[in-house]
Amino acid sequence: MLRDMSWLIRKTLKNTFRSKLSWFVYLGLPLVGVLISTLLYSNSNSGILRIGIVNNDGHQVITQDAIRFIQGLNQVEITMTDEQTLRSDIVANKLDSGLIFDPGFAVSVQDGNPKRINLVSVKGAQVTIYVKSLLQSYISNVAAIGKGTNGDHTAFDRIYSEYSKQSFKLTSESVSDSSNVRDMTYQSIGFLITFMMFSAVNLSELILKDKENRTFLRLLSSPVSARTYVLSNVVVNALIILLQILVTVFLMKSVFHIDSGIPYGQLVPILLLFGLASIGLSLLIVAFAKSSQAAGAMQNLIITPTCLLSGCFFPIGIMPNAVQKISNFLPQHWLLDSIDKLQHGEGFGSLGLNLAILIAFTAAFALIAIYRFGRNNDTRLFV
Amino acid sequence: MNVLEIHNLTKKFGDFIAVDNITLNVREGEIFGFLGANGAGKSTTINMICSLLRSTKGEISLLGRTIATNVKFAKMNTGIVPQDISIYENMTAYENVSFFAGLYGLRGTLLKERTEEALEFVGLADKHKSFPKNFSGGMKRRLNIACAIAHRPKLIIMDEPTVGIDPQSRNYILNSVKKLNQMGCTIIYTSHYMEEVEEICTQIAIIDHGKIIAEGTKEQLKAIITDTKDIWIGIKAADTLPIDQLKQIQGVMTVRHEENTIKINSKGEVNNLNLIIQQLIKDDVEIRSVEEQAPNLETVFLTLTGRNLRD
Repeated sequence: MLRDMSWLIRKTLKNTFRSKLSWFVYLGLPLVGVLISTLLYSNSNSGILRIGIVNNDGHQVITQDAIRFIQGLNQVEITMTDEQTLRSDIVANKLDSGLIFDPGFAVSVQDGNPKRINLVSVKGAQVTIYVKSLLQSYISNVAAIGKGTNGDHTAFDRIYSEYSKQSFKLTSESVSDSSNVRDMTYQSIGFLITFMMFSAVNLSELILKDKENRTFLRLLSSPVSARTYVLSNVVVNALIILLQILVTVFLMKSVFHIDSGIPYGQLVPILLLFGLASIGLSLLIVAFAKSSQAAGAMQNLIITPTCLLSGCFFPIGIMPNAVQKISNFLPQHWLLDSIDKLQHGEGFGSLGLNLAILIAFTAAFALIAIYRFGRNNDTRLFV
Repeated sequence: MNVLEIHNLTKKFGDFIAVDNITLNVREGEIFGFLGANGAGKSTTINMICSLLRSTKGEISLLGRTIATNVKFAKMNTGIVPQDISIYENMTAYENVSFFAGLYGLRGTLLKERTEEALEFVGLADKHKSFPKNFSGGMKRRLNIACAIAHRPKLIIMDEPTVGIDPQSRNYILNSVKKLNQMGCTIIYTSHYMEEVEEICTQIAIIDHGKIIAEGTKEQLKAIITDTKDIWIGIKAADTLPIDQLKQIQGVMTVRHEENTIKINSKGEVNNLNLIIQQLIKDDVEIRSVEEQAPNLETVFLTLTGRNLRD
């Protein structure tokens, strides 16, 4: 049996990689996925916060000083702009957030009741909180002077002038932000998952193609059994998926410098386990499809929506709760969840449930496929 | 010695009986013609011989061993040339033959020798590096044969190996079959072309509705129908023909109209030629020739099954 299997495996591998298109589909596409992830997250990779400032308060000293204060902050790059441009630049991701000083801002600070500063962002508090808290602290100090002088502008100017001359010593420590790399890894793995699933179905479809071109029955009239033949297809499938994983993971780190933070010894086995679940699913599709065209249609109907729901194309966190619950029934979710847990420092041992679920998916798919193969292995369909 | 023995073989698909209790023996060195119209049970029988289908009842033995319990032995000693061309278009002719021969355990120098020998035998040695997608229908059929003979099986089953090819390739294949037979192979040959079967087969079985209805040499089969005669009447093209009236003439069994010929099968002892001609003249059919045919396999088949082999 092993001799027959190795003969079939050799032939299938040779035929598969004889075509340049196969090289692109099986190894090129996952790399395209990594490239897309790199491009998607490269803008936020610099660690510099790009802030647009709209000054509607003219040349007031307090306003100018507040702008200079922001400019002096670490990791901040400011651009003076108008309100309309500010909003369009934020939408176009040219700026991370915007700050609008309304007319009368300086006077309100001087009076001890500072006007609220408008902070505009589409990225949420994680982007605005840093600037907001430091700026508010600075304005509160100046407003306290205003309150203390109780409307006496001469006294305010004198005390403010003394206050401005004081030299502050601000020591800041930068810590490396790994969230970006984490997002990039998550997305790259998401794309890899999708391409692994498509590859698995493409390779299992070879069984249907052999049936269509009648070589399947010719093979079975030789000493090769149907079991040996299907098993050889599974081995080829697993080998190509393993190659796909190794090449993608290696190039992610060595070429794209995306360090997932997960050792290869943990990342590769868990991806391979998912690969086996994909092969199980592909066999299931092939067992139910009556032609390679039908299998192609089923693959599109199953893989793309489930990958979308599991968060392969964008983070699951941004999806509604109901969708997040649905994803619990999809194997892709359990792989992405495992990757996430490993990136957050959890050990391989704590992934017991995730691994068990992935194994269960693999076993369920394979068993249903075997049952179905047994039932429809009727030569009348193909003779 | 019998190479193949089929005993009381039956195959049912649900309530449908595809093969109904057939018994056959194929002796060593024979070219055994297996005839039947579409759906007669031919392919089902062949699939059971090749272990692709399990029989519902009965037994098949190859070289004295029951194939149900000696599947590998049976497959190693059988070569199948399927009706549909079963080769890989993305592999060269050499790779195709070598791959299929490898499935029978051949490796290394022996595999190389046998592959070259098989390609040489079917006249494709000079095309060994070419891909079948560039081959004519006849060349593909020849490659199909090469894939079945490289492992030197004792029994070769050829299921309509000459379908859809040019006369030159057909002659090449028929000569190859004879040559294989001379080299000691036993061959089971199915075809829709009676003249091929008549030319090469030494023993013939006719299957209809799952049953063997006749078996023997060509001469023995023809002897079955000596009580009938074939009358072929050449005519000028006519709009209407008195087919029904001809069928009512005493002794006439079947009447067929093919191009410009009316083919009548009639009881041998009834002298009805005058009546037939009178009927045609009466209906203004212009007669050009009248021939009484010696019985051939096609007549035998038609007489026994009531239908044309290509129906």
